Amino acid sequence: MKYSLVLISLLCITAFGAEEKKAASEVTYIPPVKKAETITIPNNTTINVSYEKPKKALNGAGCPAKVHSMVKEKPEVLTADKPLLISVVGQGVAPVNTNSPAQAYALAKRAATADAYRLIAEKIKGVNVDGQDLIKNMMVKRSTVRTSVQAMVRNANIVETTFKDGLCEVEMEITLSHADFAH
Amino acid sequence: MRSRDGNHSFTRRLCSLIFLFSSLALNAGEYLVSYKYIVKNATLYNESLDISKSMTKCEGVPSQNIIFPSTHENNFQELITRHKEEFIEYIHKLGIDVQSRDITTNNQINTTTTLTLKTTCFKVDFNDTFVKISHLKQPQD
Repeated sequence: MKYSLVLISLLCITAFGAEEKKAASEVTYIPPVKKAETITIPNNTTINVSYEKPKKALNGAGCPAKVHSMVKEKPEVLTADKPLLISVVGQGVAPVNTNSPAQAYALAKRAATADAYRLIAEKIKGVNVDGQDLIKNMMVKRSTVRTSVQAMVRNANIVETTFKDGLCEVEMEITLSHADFAH
Repeated sequence: MRSRDGNHSFTRRLCSLIFLFSSLALNAGEYLVSYKYIVKNATLYNESLDISKSMTKCEGVPSQNIIFPSTHENNFQELITRHKEEFIEYIHKLGIDVQSRDITTNNQINTTTTLTLKTTCFKVDFNDTFVKISHLKQPQD
């Protein structure tokens, strides 16, 4: 009887030890914590809002999963010793009512040149962005984004012009040197 | 006074040189040029090239020039009409003001780009076989 009691107690201790080990080796999953907030609206209507914390991806050891670091390319910067070459491709189309293919080409090229100049101006000086959304009865009625750019561009060169299927593409280059900006 | 040592030919040469220089100076003129074109939604919308003879003397120094072949004419506007593409390419190089506005309303884009050459003075030399157009660069440019 004594031996049987000792055996049972040993078996229990072994079983508990194994369970603890198993529990330690298993992935620990933390249930999302719910947090409740109370928002009071001026007209005494109360809305309860609850949101969950973002779940973290866990690996076997309970640590956050590895996030692959994105390799960022170093942007080209204008320096005193090295000029900077900017290349853009502008696109333009001919109007519908043209008298001849030659006229269509000339007009499309003019439009493509303007587009290329705009792209150069955007690259050099940047773009002003302004946005406005009109929301009525919890619905977006009108969403407006305005962008603008203003610059003086000189010594830009047209490298190549292609005209295919009514679309004209003008490749334009400009070389910026430090002396252009130094006063 | 005419002498036997060839002063007569020297005077003739001098006179012809003076005449040549004066004729060149008389054929040189200063013109004001402005250029503007508008592109809407990737299509050329409006283009204007305005040329007028300057009524006052322009200030500035000749900087960049372009040479066109001439056919014994002194009309700058006609010359530009014949060589419009080359002249426009030339004035693009001088420096052009770019203004662009895009408006996106409910995912519908309208874009307008305006390129402008501010009123600029050019010195034009008419010769027998060619015409030389020089941009008069202002001191503040």
